[in-house]
Amino acid sequence: MKHLLLVVGLGLSLTSLSGFATPSYKVTMKGMVCSFCAQGIEKKMKALSETKDVYVDMKNRLVVVEVKEGLTLSQDVINKIIKDVGYAVQSIEVSEHPIEHIQSGMDK
Amino acid sequence: MFTFNIKLWVIPLIFLSSHLVFAAPMGFEGSVMTMGDFNQNWREVGFNYAITSRDALGLTHLEFRSDDYKDKREIDTLNYTRLLSRWNSEHAQSNLWLFMGLGEVRGVANNQSIDSKVIASPGFQFDYETTRIYFAVTHKLYRASNLNHDNTSIRAGFSFYEADYNQTQPWFILETKYTNQISDKIEVIPMLRLINKNIFVEGGVNNSGQPRLNFMYTF
Repeated sequence: MKHLLLVVGLGLSLTSLSGFATPSYKVTMKGMVCSFCAQGIEKKMKALSETKDVYVDMKNRLVVVEVKEGLTLSQDVINKIIKDVGYAVQSIEVSEHPIEHIQSGMDK
Repeated sequence: MFTFNIKLWVIPLIFLSSHLVFAAPMGFEGSVMTMGDFNQNWREVGFNYAITSRDALGLTHLEFRSDDYKDKREIDTLNYTRLLSRWNSEHAQSNLWLFMGLGEVRGVANNQSIDSKVIASPGFQFDYETTRIYFAVTHKLYRASNLNHDNTSIRAGFSFYEADYNQTQPWFILETKYTNQISDKIEVIPMLRLINKNIFVEGGVNNSGQPRLNFMYTF
């Protein structure tokens, strides 16, 4: 019984880890006030080799970058890209959730 | 194609139209922005390439005519746009832009050809924007042989609602323009502005009943 519980527990752990194997970087922006201007952020972030997907949330001033499985992204790189595009970073939060969870609010 | 004579009042348009007044007169680094400004008496198309996130170079072609259709000008300019300063706050952005244009003007005045002249058009724009309000003031000098005109444009407006990144956001924009030594009339143009990512369109009718259409597209 103990072995069974151990196996089940390990199985559940592995499942949960694989579900969150792609971290996302939630960047709260300063100055991002129109989509016409914000498109540059999306394009520059998508151009990174580490990037799996990008989500822009104008209402919450968020740019979310989901990286490919097994990869990470330097926050210095994120800061530089956003500065080069002409904006400023208020904060960066690393999330274990993929973009689709963040979009639906499941990460809270 | 227009056939009309040139009058002094159109001269500022050389310079006004060489630098279309838009929310963002250039795109992100490496982008190409195309733009157009169309009115009953003028047509302008242009593009610029963002060399850096603060500098852009471009070309503009402009054709315009007087109200009585007797005067006409064609202007081609090489334009430089520089973002001098940007202030990013939590919910707003402000910008100070510098414009420089250099080109050639040619045309017809009273059915007689006018020798081409070199035109220089320095100017600046300050704008302030949130997701709900927009304000911009643009002032431009115009200098050429026997020509000296100042042009001022003020734009203000609001968005009807906030929109998601992939949604089209509608704005109401009111623009007032005045050109020194050209006309005593201040042009007033209420416009509807629509923005959806890389597409920007404005349309309205001025206080003379003339329709106007602006657009921008960024590659």
